[in-house]
Amino acid sequence: MHSGRCAARIVVVLALASVALAAGVVRKDLRFKVGKHPMVSVNSQYGPITVRAGAAHVVVVTAILHSDKVELDQSKSGNRIGLVSHLLPGADATSGIVEYEIQVPADANVTLQSETGPIHVEKLRGDVTIQGSNAPISALDCADGHVHVKTLDGAVNLTNIRNGHVEIVSMGGDVTMNNVTGPLVKVSSNSGKIQYDGDFGSEGDYDFSSHTGNIDAVAPAYASIDVLARSSNGPVQSDFSLEPKHTPFVAAVGSAFHGTLNKAASSVSLFSFSGRIHLKKRQN
Amino acid sequence: MNCSEFERVLPDYLEGDHTAEQQAHLNSCSSCAGLLADLNFISSQAQLLQDSVDPSPAVWNALEIQLRREGLIRDGKTREAAPTRSSLADFFRRHRAAWLIPVAAALVIAGGLKLYRPLGAGDTNPVARVTAPVPVAQGSNPASNEDQQLLSTVATRFPAQQAKYRQNLDQANSYIRDAEQSIKNNPNDEYSQELLINAYEQKQMLYDLAVNRSGGQ
Repeated sequence: MHSGRCAARIVVVLALASVALAAGVVRKDLRFKVGKHPMVSVNSQYGPITVRAGAAHVVVVTAILHSDKVELDQSKSGNRIGLVSHLLPGADATSGIVEYEIQVPADANVTLQSETGPIHVEKLRGDVTIQGSNAPISALDCADGHVHVKTLDGAVNLTNIRNGHVEIVSMGGDVTMNNVTGPLVKVSSNSGKIQYDGDFGSEGDYDFSSHTGNIDAVAPAYASIDVLARSSNGPVQSDFSLEPKHTPFVAAVGSAFHGTLNKAASSVSLFSFSGRIHLKKRQN
Repeated sequence: MNCSEFERVLPDYLEGDHTAEQQAHLNSCSSCAGLLADLNFISSQAQLLQDSVDPSPAVWNALEIQLRREGLIRDGKTREAAPTRSSLADFFRRHRAAWLIPVAAALVIAGGLKLYRPLGAGDTNPVARVTAPVPVAQGSNPASNEDQQLLSTVATRFPAQQAKYRQNLDQANSYIRDAEQSIKNNPNDEYSQELLINAYEQKQMLYDLAVNRSGGQ
């Protein structure tokens, strides 16, 4: 009985391996020794990229190539590592997929590009630059480094990002930020929504703007902010009773406001051309 | 003949030495045909540049610094470490859309020039509220030559993405038009100027992404 079950397992494993081989799926494991602040770049057309903080002085890469229509080009020059998904003739959005799982030292600077993604980074302390076309992009628990994101339609989700320059340019992708603080947090969107939930830290410059996308900012009552909000063609609303300030323009009620809350440590600009702007008070 | 073999003979092909085998591969391979079209385009544009006046070295230095900072160009070590290929063909392949970089830079410069209207010192008068401009319908204006070239490159290299890039270009251009109209209504409105800068940044991003897509394959 026991040996029969074991045999069945072997058959299943062999069957799965056969399917994988038939489909041309190849797994590559790479390991690079690096020094402090290594630079790691990944340029892929199709497939997810996940980068997490791991052990110091080593970069560990697991890449799963979905077919023989795509190759993995690797290069290492000093402290700089480059990984490129090299599409061969006939590759498409399915056969060209490469899945990357990468562990880097926490102080690594990473540059990631994937058209389809998703792209995810976690617990990094270095600079993060991400570009994607449709790729959903997320960053979690990063600090002390810059986070720069450029996307066409991919949703951007940043959570617990501290003490860095955050700059996001998005065309149609929604941008969601939870507990994102730093000396500079700038988001420029075209039609995508911008949603911020946090206390705006202290002495930071928060600049959110859009063409047609709505902007929602949720802050606690203790937030210390100087807020200027204005939409040319959309409604503007604040749940806070702000201490009014002089505006550099004549503001019609409901289209703009400028005021401070508490000691006004951080500057907050909410600008839209035709999107709705709402500064909300966190309820708990 | 496969793509690698064609890339090796590409310099000769560009010089006019054709064989039937090369022509047959070109007719059957959209990738190599696209590469050849890009090279011919670059060549034609380069000839137009011959008569233009060179900017000062400081401009090139500033541009180089910015491109290095953006990671669009790297030092020689990176190129040496790249996968081996026919060096000339590899150079052309990797830089096939390099013309987009100066175009993107020109967009930013154009945006800056449009905005360079120094406010009068000590001018403390409040700025009148901007009359809501009438949004221009998307796609009502023909795309500029640069936009057409961008779309042409995207269509050649990434046909599936052409519609997306066209839509995003329309949106960026619409944003620019709306912000420009606001500034036209009130030239001293810093708020609208900031929106215009953001609109140009979005358009620049579209060009950047097209460059990086081209370089990533």
